[in-house]
Amino acid sequence: MDAKKFSLKKMIFSKINRKLSFLVIAALLAPALGIFLFYYILASSFPSGIFSEQAALLRTTAVFIIILICIVNAGVIGFFVTRSISKPINELYKATLELEKGNYDIRIDIKTDDEISELGNAFNLTSAALGKLEQERKEIDNAKTEFLSITSHELRSPMTPMKAQLQMLQEGYFGKLNKKTKDSLEIITRNADRLDNIIVDFLEISRIEAARLKFNFKETDISQIVDETTKFMEGFAKEKNIRLVVKTANIPKIEVDPDRLIQVLRNLINNAIKFSEENSKIEIDTKLKGNYILFSVKDYGCGLNSENQIRIFEPFYQVENSSHRKHGGTGLGLAICRGIVEAQKGKLWVESKEGRGSKFSFTVPLKPVKNIEPIKVLFSSKKLIENKICEEFKTVLGPLGNSEFDELKNKNSLGKDDLFEYIDSLTELHIIPEKKGENFKNNIGGIFGEEKTIINKENDTNYCIQEDEVVGRS
Amino acid sequence: MPKTILIVDDEEDVRESVKTILTANGYKVETAIDGDDCLKKIQEITPDLILLDIMMPGKPIGEVIKQIQNIKIAFMSVVRISDARKQGLCSQSNIVDFFQKPFNVSDLVDRLEFILNG
Repeated sequence: MDAKKFSLKKMIFSKINRKLSFLVIAALLAPALGIFLFYYILASSFPSGIFSEQAALLRTTAVFIIILICIVNAGVIGFFVTRSISKPINELYKATLELEKGNYDIRIDIKTDDEISELGNAFNLTSAALGKLEQERKEIDNAKTEFLSITSHELRSPMTPMKAQLQMLQEGYFGKLNKKTKDSLEIITRNADRLDNIIVDFLEISRIEAARLKFNFKETDISQIVDETTKFMEGFAKEKNIRLVVKTANIPKIEVDPDRLIQVLRNLINNAIKFSEENSKIEIDTKLKGNYILFSVKDYGCGLNSENQIRIFEPFYQVENSSHRKHGGTGLGLAICRGIVEAQKGKLWVESKEGRGSKFSFTVPLKPVKNIEPIKVLFSSKKLIENKICEEFKTVLGPLGNSEFDELKNKNSLGKDDLFEYIDSLTELHIIPEKKGENFKNNIGGIFGEEKTIINKENDTNYCIQEDEVVGRS
Repeated sequence: MPKTILIVDDEEDVRESVKTILTANGYKVETAIDGDDCLKKIQEITPDLILLDIMMPGKPIGEVIKQIQNIKIAFMSVVRISDARKQGLCSQSNIVDFFQKPFNVSDLVDRLEFILNG
């Protein structure tokens, strides 16, 4: 059926039109005709003399009665007819809202036998089709997670004899080695270890995505954990003569999985060491913030530009700088950290100034979240943020927003600072009023630093001070 | 008198690798290819320790270890210890250690030395 093509036949035979015609005929024409006939018969049954005297009065009365009956009739019939149209439309509206919420099982039953019931049927079909798609999506998602998990296991099993044999060779089980062989074996071992680390990280990701991440909650002295982890990492920091400065302030004992906490902390400190200059320092802060404990690891290294700040949590994303590549991470560390932190309903975020250093912060709730939900760490947070920005553009600038957003995206200037500059230029050109511009800025800022406001408002002031400190020192 | 260790693993390369290591460190080594084979072998010989893989074809490992009560068992598996605990595999008192695959050769030797001769 071609919906766009106008067809007179279809319009005439449209069932809703039939209903409306019925309304006109039954409510207006029928009583009018009836009264007219009555009047006509009345007129013809009286002798013409009497009739002519009272004709004017009779005519007026008749017209008045016709109008009155028409109004009442139209009201009553109109009520039923319009209700038969509006009721199913209302039902459809409610069902559509349900569908939007993700209830794909919703079906509606409209028996009006007109275009609306056809629409209802089409809605049911759409809802069923969407349900099927959603089902398929879930299946694919599960298959992906399962595949990731199985592959990682399968990849890991050949590692066992391989690494065993390598170590045996190196430890002289099969005789002494010359230097060249030793060097060669060292390279093989190092890369086998690296491969193994990637596989382990893969397994970890598959666990996070399938909500199979395990937390062994224990009452833990947080300060002690931070101290121990820092001591452990000091060994690595010494190589670059980096000082690790720890600040902990009155942290209560809380129930956490100490191993997971150590895993995240080590990862962040390790990154900080990796991207720090020699002879610098790294500050590790722990404080109580509302219902959370806020951890932060701050370095004075090379920092991240706005693009990297968004993308750094993507799996396998490594900041492009060949000198850091040789440190050979798997590129999954931060994605895993994010998974671990978010599985506990905490947040992990970064603040950074290029060339001045970065500060990674994360929160751990005072009360552990025992019901672990799947977290999509394989999704790019860049896409997510970009979509949010685009939405904001569209609400402020209307349809123009989309093209403006695309243009900025093509220029690769979707960083926070770039966007603020853009908004300033809009207000200067009086394209949007100043107040709207302020709001726009606030919302964009919110998209970038959303986590901050969620945890605690106090944080904001705190960050400003810290930010200045960075500027001041450099 | 050298101590006897029974290696149970479905992968030949793992069996051979561990066998070479343990033999070189003065142990007498027997091998079995799965749980059923392991139960059959311990009818004939009484090892001082069984190095047991967890994921193998055939009889589930939970049932295999129930039938071994008086021989020390050390797991050696790619499964993580937390998962093994969750499956209730670590509750028996004759389970003495857990080696995570891929294992470290000198760590394996040291820990076995401690268990059997320490």
